[in-house]
Amino acid sequence: MGGPQYDLLMNPLGAVRQTFEKAVASSQPSGLDPTAVYRGKDWGIVDVLNQFLFSQGGLAQVPILDASSLKWIKPNTLVRFRGMVQDMLGNEFYIGAFKDGCTWRTNKFLDFSPFSVPPVSETTLWERHLFHCVPVPGQNSWAIESTPYPLKINISNEMTCQHGEKRRRDDDPDGISDFDCCDEGSSSSNKKQKDCGSASHHKIAEITNGSSFPTKSFSCLVKVYDMPESQFKLNEVVEFIGIYTFDPELTTSDRSDNVDDNMSMFDFMDDVATHLPPSKVPRIHCLVSQKLSTQDLISNSPACEPLPNVIRGIRDSLVSYLSCTLGNDVIAAQCLLLHLLSKLRVKSDVASVGRLSLNLTGFTQESASIFGKQLNNAIKTLLPYSHTIPLTIEYLNTAMLQPKKDNESGRLLMGALQLASGTHLTLDETVMQSGTLNSKGVENVLLLKHLMEHQIVEYDFQFYKLEMATEVQCLIISEAKSNILPADLVVPVCPSAVAPVSASEEQLHAWRWYLTTVRSLPYSTDTSICEMLQNEMVEAMRKDRSLGCSDLSRWMTMAQLMAASFGEKSFSVEHWQMVKEIERLRKERL
Amino acid sequence: MTGYLQCGRSSGNALPQLASSREISLHFPPILPLFSLTLLVASFPANFSRPPFLLPLNLTWSDEQSAMASNGHSSPFGQATPNGNSNSSQTPRRSSRRRTNNSNSSPASSPFPLETPPSRPAGVASTPTTSRRRGTRHNPNATPSTPLSTDDAVPPYSSDRDENDNMETDGQDDTTPVFVWGTNISVQEVNGAILRFLRHFRDARSASESSEAADLMSEGKYMRVVHRIMELEGAESLDIDAHDVFEYDPDLYNKMVRYPLEVLAIFDIVLMDLVARIDPLFEKHIQTRIHNLKSSVCMRNLNPSDIEKMVSIKGMIIRCSSIIPELKEAIFRCLVCGFYSDPVLVDRGRINEPTRCLREECKAMNSMSLVHNRCRFADKQIVKLQETPDEIPEGGTPHTVSVLMHDKLVDAGKPGDRVEITGIYRAMSVRVGPSQRTVKSIFKTYIDCLHLKKTDKSRLQIDDSVNHDANNNAANHEEDDASLYHDKIEKLKELSKLPDIYDRLTRSLAPNIWELDDVKRGLLCQLFGGNALKLGSSGASLRGDINILLVGDPGTSKSQLLQYMHKLSPRGIYTSGRGSSAVGLTAYVTKDPETGETVLESGALVLSDRGVCCIDEFDKMSDNARSMLHEVMEQQTVSIAKAGIIASLNARTSVLACANPSESRYNPRLSVIDNIHLPPTLLSRFDLIYLILDKADEQTDRRLAKHIVSLFFQNPDNSVHEVLDLTTLVAYISYAKKHIHPVLSDEAAEELTRQYVQMRQRGNTPGSRKKVITATARQIESLIRLSEALARMRFSQVVEVGDVAEAFRLLEVALQQSATDHSTGTIDMDLIMTGISASERTRRENILAATRNLVMEKLVTGGPAVRALELLEELKKQSSMEVHLSDLKIALSTLTSEGLVVFHGDTIKRI
Repeated sequence: MGGPQYDLLMNPLGAVRQTFEKAVASSQPSGLDPTAVYRGKDWGIVDVLNQFLFSQGGLAQVPILDASSLKWIKPNTLVRFRGMVQDMLGNEFYIGAFKDGCTWRTNKFLDFSPFSVPPVSETTLWERHLFHCVPVPGQNSWAIESTPYPLKINISNEMTCQHGEKRRRDDDPDGISDFDCCDEGSSSSNKKQKDCGSASHHKIAEITNGSSFPTKSFSCLVKVYDMPESQFKLNEVVEFIGIYTFDPELTTSDRSDNVDDNMSMFDFMDDVATHLPPSKVPRIHCLVSQKLSTQDLISNSPACEPLPNVIRGIRDSLVSYLSCTLGNDVIAAQCLLLHLLSKLRVKSDVASVGRLSLNLTGFTQESASIFGKQLNNAIKTLLPYSHTIPLTIEYLNTAMLQPKKDNESGRLLMGALQLASGTHLTLDETVMQSGTLNSKGVENVLLLKHLMEHQIVEYDFQFYKLEMATEVQCLIISEAKSNILPADLVVPVCPSAVAPVSASEEQLHAWRWYLTTVRSLPYSTDTSICEMLQNEMVEAMRKDRSLGCSDLSRWMTMAQLMAASFGEKSFSVEHWQMVKEIERLRKERL
Repeated sequence: MTGYLQCGRSSGNALPQLASSREISLHFPPILPLFSLTLLVASFPANFSRPPFLLPLNLTWSDEQSAMASNGHSSPFGQATPNGNSNSSQTPRRSSRRRTNNSNSSPASSPFPLETPPSRPAGVASTPTTSRRRGTRHNPNATPSTPLSTDDAVPPYSSDRDENDNMETDGQDDTTPVFVWGTNISVQEVNGAILRFLRHFRDARSASESSEAADLMSEGKYMRVVHRIMELEGAESLDIDAHDVFEYDPDLYNKMVRYPLEVLAIFDIVLMDLVARIDPLFEKHIQTRIHNLKSSVCMRNLNPSDIEKMVSIKGMIIRCSSIIPELKEAIFRCLVCGFYSDPVLVDRGRINEPTRCLREECKAMNSMSLVHNRCRFADKQIVKLQETPDEIPEGGTPHTVSVLMHDKLVDAGKPGDRVEITGIYRAMSVRVGPSQRTVKSIFKTYIDCLHLKKTDKSRLQIDDSVNHDANNNAANHEEDDASLYHDKIEKLKELSKLPDIYDRLTRSLAPNIWELDDVKRGLLCQLFGGNALKLGSSGASLRGDINILLVGDPGTSKSQLLQYMHKLSPRGIYTSGRGSSAVGLTAYVTKDPETGETVLESGALVLSDRGVCCIDEFDKMSDNARSMLHEVMEQQTVSIAKAGIIASLNARTSVLACANPSESRYNPRLSVIDNIHLPPTLLSRFDLIYLILDKADEQTDRRLAKHIVSLFFQNPDNSVHEVLDLTTLVAYISYAKKHIHPVLSDEAAEELTRQYVQMRQRGNTPGSRKKVITATARQIESLIRLSEALARMRFSQVVEVGDVAEAFRLLEVALQQSATDHSTGTIDMDLIMTGISASERTRRENILAATRNLVMEKLVTGGPAVRALELLEELKKQSSMEVHLSDLKIALSTLTSEGLVVFHGDTIKRI
């Protein structure tokens, strides 16, 4: 017994070595080749780590790697990184284990071998998967977890004591410019960091100023071991806990690589990792990973079961908050709430069930500037991931919405529509003027339309297109019904008063919890009201011949969402009536 | 003394830090050209941690070898043996004498009879290879006894060999077989096996045809090929089908796949020897190219255990590097005296530049410079291969792999090509930087390409066999795949035997669109299609494609149907009439902006050749554009006469168009033709014209409501079951299209004629004042097509009466002709609305019969008119059931259309 001898936080590699040696030693008597036994398997380090992280509460002590903490986190220490799988770079073969003299050593969780590698016969090749991960696009500041302050001080002090080597980092502002999010805040913070830059003395000062904004170009190359590659899918949000490696020698050599003419041909052979120099893209050798749902982002969520009356209370306050945002328009607020709760449930060839895209109309440019902004703020504070696209002619003609594979570099270039599932997308049509769309503009519009209709984004792989299912809630703000982008529900907003909106942190927290919890509630089916619904529908169709399939299925969606908004799993007549009432009021406005 | 075969196929740049691991390797210049393919690999400007090709070519003889060999298995990397160096000095001399031995195959008349320059051995010694992993214990005595030397005349160089043999015998007397180190490959055995294979392999087919005697006389398949290659002199490679190898000698196949480097080298040697035997003066080196392995790997599944093995991979080329000229032989010239050196061969990716002039008189230091235009170069290219979309799992991105192409394979594929590659999967270590000595623990992997085959020449092929399995099957003849394929076919055939296959297919088509069953049936017919006929001598052809027009009220999910068909059809093009111009649909001539040449560009119809061209908003299309369709829809070609280009392009496409009625909603007061508002010339080219009317009908509404509710509740009872999934449906259709070609039976033909005549007559009803689509000759063609398609659905080779009847029904239903009032050309909306339930229909038939009897009884031809109410009273008296005035009116109107009575206002008159 007696716990790990190594400090898992500061020297995880020591633990890796130790456990490996122990494992090899234990397998020796059985006469098995340790390399064969541990190929593609864990030899106990993960268990040790799991115990440390989750049983002994070590998780809180693990610093989170982000653009700001990158400056002071020591290489070869344990870090946490939360990001979206942006690209899959395939697998990589490395010398997993080799015999140094008569002892077996391992290179697992390392970039390169600390020992000179012996001839081929005494090495075995193992395999690991490479993922390029970025901070989740459109992640709102409240949802970003950063390293708690005292921990920073603690670790950075330790660093200064150890007079860690001065790292040469390329503080290249256009380092990797693929990520063209229209995230304004980040450029300034980027600059700030650049000023403080390479000098490691400034790190304390740096910690104090805005660490909450992820730098535009920050990304991570995560190396994942011992799991089927299909474990992670593109655009999934994952938390990786692993060893952050950085070697100054590698940095310099990478630089010289580019200069070396001999390498130009060889470059072609090289895998994509060359385009992500370790000086700009930190490497993480993942030990433990877990997929994150939006719920995981709500820290210390109220442990209580979603009780109906609690839910109802939160719901009411949220509706009043939303109606405040929309100038005391309760109908629109109700619709907005349903929209925020919508989630794609079932998807078949033609129809998709459960999504409810919303088009709020009746905004002029002036009112959009007031309410649109309020709305955006509200969404930003309520949802973990949100993104706003201004639909100007210029933007459509120039922006790269479609993710595109660059076969030259082997990388998937991130388009604005490469979004994590559950992202909220606001499309502001009020800023659109008349003009001509060029071919790219048309393509972009079609892409948006396709996304809204089928929840699918086509990724461009040059020789073919690959359809990726994307789960995004779309909200369109426009003057009149948007003909470019077909929304499920069109609601004219009739603001009556401009009221300052405010909410306490406590309320916000409750609302966030409410939204994520309700969205993830399972639906159950209550077949008893089937008959009633059918009758209602037939009746409605008789009254109004223009009712189509889309209207009816929208009602169903809304009724289901309505039920969910009260924390109930299946909807009843009551909810159906509420939807009908909303529908009636909405129709009056059209 | 044991011989070590240190294989010379290259070892990359030696690692300086490993210089201590002493290895003496000798060079065999005459042999090197043999392995140009692999040599290229070696010259990668990276360090190989191990020699990529180790072949039993270069001999290293050293005295301590027996000792090393004994421990060789446990530590093959032979740590430096202290006394090893003593032998290095004598190595070069020995090697040059001995070289012909190991390769009894290597002719003395080798095209490159170069002697190793004196400076070389030193260079070699200073850059030792990292390993001698596959040294071979070599028994010299065994070598000459390989089958090579057993037959035919004594090779011209035999004396030379004998001499070497003697040399070897000096050192070694025992007769252990030669194994390539670390493998179970015995050189002689493999040598013999390959030779036997090359000489004696015959195609099973040809073997069975010829008698045994003739069999012995005739040459083996590959001997013929070798002869042909030698005659042509152009070819440089011999393609060998791995299936043949497997058939002839499974053991050899397994060895080849497992140890390709070694076996291929022996292959090359054997081949070279064979060629030399036939024609000693033949100078070209013929390379062996293996292809068509028994199993191909998915790119995703390549793993460390595949390294150094032969693999076959399918993928799409996404990027090609420019051609890299690689120096293979350098010639230096002395700047002082102008002396040209002998060609210097590349040694592990390096050229040893002579430091001083070799001429005795000159001997100037550092005066030698490379003469570029006298050096020999070989082509090399690096190609990136990416997974094809169908291999990518959900939520993944495609993998890529680098492929190294040599010589003839350079530029064999272009970006965008789908290819199948056979090659050797290899890994090489990565240096941290050119200056660093440390090697990263990471390996770069690539495939040394041996053979490249384009799996799909064009999209057409993919599309023709929509069925993925059929596609796979065509591409590789894997047994597993084939059996899988047969299983699938069997399943499809089983499906076709189901009695309700027609309904089941109908249900499977766009299952999310409720109702419209008859429209779906028509679309199904379109997908299956009829038989295209070519009338022998005249060259005229009858199309087999079925064109369909959907006309209907907005919101009747026409567009969704179109989208679905677009998805389903092998090469569907979806266009919208509003955005299509005539040229965009057919073809147009443009000037290439760069060259100024006129170029013919295909439009949507040409592009959807052998597919379905879906045209939405057909009514919004300009008349001009629509008129272009005339030719396409009947002749199935597009003719272009423009800018000096006169061309006729195939456009064997089915057209599926949809349009709104002329007043955007169907106007029941107007005739069908007026509602559709398209020229009859065009209309008659559509086999089926569907009127999809938005009828206010509670039954339909209820079904719609039920459908939506069930969609949400996902109630298994309500959801449609027994539906073929999309892939099965596609497979079913493509199989039927490919393999089923039904012919009309006599009875069916008779039925067709009979019904057609009837139909013609109906159009000529007296009193018809509006143009009604009457049956034309075109219609009988389309009826044949429809019935053929219906037979195809059952996988039946014969069109039966039932098919014809159903075809007629479809045609009738399409225009809702049953509800069309032929005297006015309008659709009686009442008829449609009420004519739904079967019970209602029988009731109505009863009333009709009763009314007819009554009319026959009560009314005299040309007699006085009777009031309808009176008749009603009469009817009520007669029949037990309840009769309303509306019922009577319906019955009367039917009688009117039959020409029995005239019905004016409220009075009835018999005629």
